[in-house]
Amino acid sequence: MQPQKELGRRRLVLTALVIISLIFITLFLREASDGALHSVQQGGLGAMSPIQSVATRAVQPFQDAWRYVTGVWSAYEENRELASELEELRGQVVQMQEAAEENERLKRLLEFQQSGIFPAGSTYCVARVIGRSPTRWQNWVQVDKGTADGLAVNQPVVGAAGKAGDSLSGKGLVGKVVAVTAHSAQVQLISDPESSVAALIQGTRAEGILEGTVTGSLLMDFVERDQLVELEAVVITSGSGQIFPKGIPVGKVVSVGEEDVNIYKTIEVQPFVEVRSLEEVMVLTTVSQSGDVQTKKLPTGIQPGSGGR
Amino acid sequence: MMTPRERLLEVLRLSLLLILAVALQAVLTSRLTVLGVTADVFLMLPVLVGMTRGSLAGAVFGFVSGLLADIIFMDPIGLRALIYLLVGYLSGRYAEWMPPYSAWAVVALTAVATLLGQWVYAVFQFLTGNRAPFFTMVWRQVLPAAVVNGLLVAPLYLGLVRLKLVRRLEPGGMSKR
Repeated sequence: MQPQKELGRRRLVLTALVIISLIFITLFLREASDGALHSVQQGGLGAMSPIQSVATRAVQPFQDAWRYVTGVWSAYEENRELASELEELRGQVVQMQEAAEENERLKRLLEFQQSGIFPAGSTYCVARVIGRSPTRWQNWVQVDKGTADGLAVNQPVVGAAGKAGDSLSGKGLVGKVVAVTAHSAQVQLISDPESSVAALIQGTRAEGILEGTVTGSLLMDFVERDQLVELEAVVITSGSGQIFPKGIPVGKVVSVGEEDVNIYKTIEVQPFVEVRSLEEVMVLTTVSQSGDVQTKKLPTGIQPGSGGR
Repeated sequence: MMTPRERLLEVLRLSLLLILAVALQAVLTSRLTVLGVTADVFLMLPVLVGMTRGSLAGAVFGFVSGLLADIIFMDPIGLRALIYLLVGYLSGRYAEWMPPYSAWAVVALTAVATLLGQWVYAVFQFLTGNRAPFFTMVWRQVLPAAVVNGLLVAPLYLGLVRLKLVRRLEPGGMSKR
């Protein structure tokens, strides 16, 4: 009987407390903000405020220490996240820079194409350099276009390189296609020791053959000693070899010499295009049969030849 | 049956617990945020009182503790009183019905009590028009609060046992002082 009585007492108390709580809640929600219960709450808070004020000062050092610890941890985490993000952004910047540079190179190629140097009606194919000769004994590049894209042996190849020294525009002859497959081609560069290009010097119209060297510079041979050749003179293709159309800029004269045992001048020509840094080239897949060369003045100051042998 | 002197001492102890709750809550726990929530001493103590002193004491203590919490937390007076009195009562009933238990039961029961309390509180908020995304509140408030209260009740319990304000839980039955 005693446990039953105890249980009943408990239930009574519990029920009473629940009812009181519900009454409190109801009254609190129904009364105005200056009602009795609200006043009690305000008074309680007022009584608590000095305690909290003292507590704040007392706990502040511990709180600061805790914040420091959590701050250090969150800073560590944040640092890791930021470092990761920075790496990602750096990668994106590199990619964007690459894209911008490629865009610039292609733009220069396009300008070169539209410069009026090449015979009207010529067609072009832009190819990406995908391989290079492993030694200086040879100077060739492999490109990612082949017969499927209209490439064929002996087609002229031009290029535009951003780092071409103080060359007029960094645009000029690069070489010719010497081997071709369906989807790739080998381009012999003008700096290859086996390369020879019929060329002439602007101004004096002196003609000769440009030959490559292992040093990367070009030597212009077969220019007779009585021909006047000035330094910085522009060398262009003469069109005599039937491979390169007339008027493509090749380089400029950087030194002129004469040897007693040689009936020709020794002329060193610096190519306009830094062929070792080529990434894209433009192959002239069709050169107009007329062989006409546009006479439009180049932005670089190069004037395509209008005559010659 | 308790003698009048024992009863008086018990009331004094419980009053001291309430003062301690106010002090702890105001001074310490409300200023320390763990997992985005603060520990609720006013809820932990009814659990401890209910488990060590029985359901009636737990209910009464929870009611008073809840009233204090309502004042300090600026909640509608009676809301936490209702929740905590139920928490204290049910904790006591658990202790009366399911002995033996270890001190670890304090941790588990506090976590469960917090979950239930948070649910009731959330329902009240919902009924009074304070809507919040369900799962957001579960992840950001209900579960963290249960974890934090469950973890912090252990040192609180040990400290109060040492101060002889709460009886030590013993396996095989109700607590010993």
